[in-house]
Amino acid sequence: MNFKIPIFDVKNLSFALRENTILSNISLEIFHGEYIAIIGPNGGGKTTLIRMLLGLEKPTSGELKLFGKRISKFKEWHKIGFVPQRASLVDENFPATVQDIVKMGRIAKYGIFAGFSKKDTQVVEDAMRKMDILHLKGKMVGTLSGGQRQRTMIARALASSPEVLILDEPNTGVDMISQRRFYKLLSKLNKEEKITIIFITHDIGVIADDITRLFTINQKATICNNPKETLSCEDMSILYGIDAHLISNHKHNCSGENGC
Amino acid sequence: MLEILEYDFMQRAFVAGFLIATLASISGTFIVLKRYSLLSETLAHSALVGVAVGLVAGYNPLWVAVIVALFFSWLIEYLRSSFSLYSDAILSIILSGSLALAVIVVSLGGAFNNSLFSYLFGSILSVSSEDLVTITAFGSLALGVLLIFSKELFFICYDEEVAKVSGIKVKFLNFLLVTVVAIIIALSIRIVGSLLIGALMVIPTVAALQFRVGFKNTMFISLLFALFSVLFGMITSYYYSLPSGATIVLSVITLFIFSLIINKK
Ligand SMILES: Nc1ncnc2c1ncn2[C@@H]1O[C@H](COP(=O)(O)OP(=O)(O)OP(=O)(O)O)[C@@H](O)[C@H]1O
Ligand SMILES: [Mg+2]
Repeated sequence: MNFKIPIFDVKNLSFALRENTILSNISLEIFHGEYIAIIGPNGGGKTTLIRMLLGLEKPTSGELKLFGKRISKFKEWHKIGFVPQRASLVDENFPATVQDIVKMGRIAKYGIFAGFSKKDTQVVEDAMRKMDILHLKGKMVGTLSGGQRQRTMIARALASSPEVLILDEPNTGVDMISQRRFYKLLSKLNKEEKITIIFITHDIGVIADDITRLFTINQKATICNNPKETLSCEDMSILYGIDAHLISNHKHNCSGENGC
Repeated sequence: MLEILEYDFMQRAFVAGFLIATLASISGTFIVLKRYSLLSETLAHSALVGVAVGLVAGYNPLWVAVIVALFFSWLIEYLRSSFSLYSDAILSIILSGSLALAVIVVSLGGAFNNSLFSYLFGSILSVSSEDLVTITAFGSLALGVLLIFSKELFFICYDEEVAKVSGIKVKFLNFLLVTVVAIIIALSIRIVGSLLIGALMVIPTVAALQFRVGFKNTMFISLLFALFSVLFGMITSYYYSLPSGATIVLSVITLFIFSLIINKK
């Protein structure tokens, strides 16, 4: 593993959709072992940025390298685990058990003709154990709670033994206690398993102690290298505009929905 | 009961029927989960254009149907992935377009007759030895492809983008799936008929989904339902001289209703 080459190397990336600029001139590097939080107002372009990093959206201009390779040449997608924004909203009727879903994480790895090896089974079990869903493995995903689904989706991403885990606000519809547990787990994955984490969230106050850097995205990117002082980061309120005081609320570990 | 197996044509019909049931239910599972059910209906009508051309021009209708269905399946996949059109709208356009085309070809060629009727609604009498060879050869190929790529296809059904990001060749596999479906549909026309094959692809899976079991079991139940419907449908067709497609489809709908009732919460 080369620690000098950034996992993501983004230079002057812009994205426009029919005249509308959605992202302009984003430049950033993400290195091995980092824990990056991405925040920004709704519609700020966080999801779009991630989609470009993953090759799901083509940038209008700019350069993008993954693990030192231009994205068009990049092949080692199994190194990246991705949990999309809508992850916990699975189709109720989809005929898959928790285990079926987590096993998907191995598919790209074991190749077309190879069967499912003992090691694959082991890795799948490990991923489920880490996410504390091993006891649910035979359950249909449609019958799980929001938090359980979220953990299933992350277990699937973990099952490919990724070097990077990208999570796009996977918390929608998850209760506070499960969220806390989930943040602890992310921090553990980052510290103990050295998995690089890129996490889009609105809960910045809660994870401020865990992260190494904070990116704020609102058409442009601002990079705060000292996230513990995030909340005084000057550009913040400019970027967030009206949302700025929402963030300082989170600092006191108090979420709006809970009425404190 | 076993006397029905004494006839060569029935033996051929059973072999072809079981192969088609297997193919239709397995490919149908993917099509239904991708919310692409209308694809089978559309390709069945496209295949009918091939049948019409075959009948009028004097080629083997089955072969021409395979070729025309393949052409339309690629056209659909191309339109779907290259233009931001609603895929169900594309399917409706091609469905009615091909039906119109088939009717015109048949009218101009003066081929409105019994043999056309059997291509619309299926007939157990119509499977020739040559057809059986075609069905077995193409059918085994299609089955092989489906089984080899079933894990990947399942992943794509679950979430196409996540599959793509995991390194699955989504575009290629989508293309492969529609190709296989086109072949299966063209082959099924003999037994099930082009107006009814859509049902044999979709209904067994929808019935199996009612049981709320994992992916493999869903596919297995769907396969059982399809095999049973084809068997029961063909026997009924034999004893009452009914079009086999119609008896097969009514059997599978009965199984569907049964599944709905016993799984009612
Ligand atoms: N496929 C698309 N078609 C049209 N507009 C799009 C598309 N994708 C994104 N946009 C626009 O791009 C902008 C950024 O959207 P994006 O989803 O990246 O924001 P976000 O920061 O992830 O927001 P949220 O916090 O709500 O998830 C929005 O104004 C959105 O309307
Ligand atoms: Mg978003």
